[in-house]
Amino acid sequence: MALPLPPGLTPAETAFLCEMEMVTVIPRQRLEGLELLGGPIPPLNPPYRTPLPLWLALLLKRQRRANILPPPWLSPPSLHSILDFEKSTPSFSPPPPLPPYATTSPPFLPSATANAPPDALPYHWLELGEMLLEAANDDIPEPDNVRRLMRDLREVRMAKMRAGVGVLEGGREVNMNGVGGMEVAEGRAFIGGVVDGLRKIGASKELSRREREAEERENGIGGGEEDEDDMDI
Amino acid sequence: MGSYYDIDAILTDAQKVPCTFDLDIPGLGYLDENAGGDVPLPIQTQYSNYVAALTPHSQIKAGTRVSLPLWLSTLLAVQRLGPSSQALCTLDLPASIAPRVLAALKAGPKTVDLRQLASHYYELAARVLELFEEEEIVDILCETFKERAAEIADHAHNPRGALGEAQDFLRGLDEMERQLFRSAHGSSNAMREWMGEAKKKR
Repeated sequence: MALPLPPGLTPAETAFLCEMEMVTVIPRQRLEGLELLGGPIPPLNPPYRTPLPLWLALLLKRQRRANILPPPWLSPPSLHSILDFEKSTPSFSPPPPLPPYATTSPPFLPSATANAPPDALPYHWLELGEMLLEAANDDIPEPDNVRRLMRDLREVRMAKMRAGVGVLEGGREVNMNGVGGMEVAEGRAFIGGVVDGLRKIGASKELSRREREAEERENGIGGGEEDEDDMDI
Repeated sequence: MGSYYDIDAILTDAQKVPCTFDLDIPGLGYLDENAGGDVPLPIQTQYSNYVAALTPHSQIKAGTRVSLPLWLSTLLAVQRLGPSSQALCTLDLPASIAPRVLAALKAGPKTVDLRQLASHYYELAARVLELFEEEEIVDILCETFKERAAEIADHAHNPRGALGEAQDFLRGLDEMERQLFRSAHGSSNAMREWMGEAKKKR
């Protein structure tokens, strides 16, 4: 009857979307430009940096035809400062600022190239970091340190997401700005379940609140007239 | 309400709630497991013939307290014989949301075994509260659910799942909470799988 998969994206699907992100590579071999459906790939000339989609960069990296230049935020000092920020506030660290002309959303933003802002985690930070760490281990400075910091960051943020559930109530909301794609994929089932459960339990209260509000609105009109009468006197 | 085929909604409907009859009603004696109340259903007979055939035992007396399934008791509680008549029975608060249980939930939401009280605890409570409008109870239940949900999330993150150290707590989850645990555990496992898979490819 139902689709076997729960709503939302699986981790593998999120990672697939992430492969559209542009990263900067330093080619080791010449390659002519390619005309692909997803857009033209610029020609690769060995010493010059070129932006490529992650899937192609990973492919070339595995064939040892290119080195990947990791984005600036994927370095121990940046991750350290972001981690400190995460620990000091209850909210998530803000996403990188959008370029002023941007009309697109994450996989099409230059948030993982060599000139990305170093002090903010982009939308696909977790999956991109994981994939780079395992395919381009040797291109990343201090990979073990980076891996450890990534794991710490992930745990701190997951704990925040779970804690956010505790303050959910009727009209109140949890600020989830800056949460990454993979984190949404992981947290969706739980958070959705809690919100749904609260809605079911609170349904009767919500109904009576609405009735009361409707009543007050009617009375409010009556009350207004009374006030006008008072004014006349 | 959920879908017509929603098994949880059906099971919620089948849970029993106590109610008190306000009128003498002939022919409903079997609800109280009355000895003489075993009268065959009136198939192709006039209703008046059927009523005449009833023994005095087969009537249910006013003031009798019986436990009836939710679907039946809600219908009886709103059904009136005539425009001026009172309802056939009054619904009482079920034991699962009695003040004693609520006090325990307020004191320590994580220590109460909800499953023992009712297998579909929250849904039953929500259905009953639709009729009672006790906002304080709704608040207590919301608070309980949230606190237990946080605990559930912590356990769902544990790769050993329900076999970990928190067996007692997890056994006391009601059906809605179990669903929550299952989905949270599933997504956490999927994530772990992806991470492991990512490592294998090297």
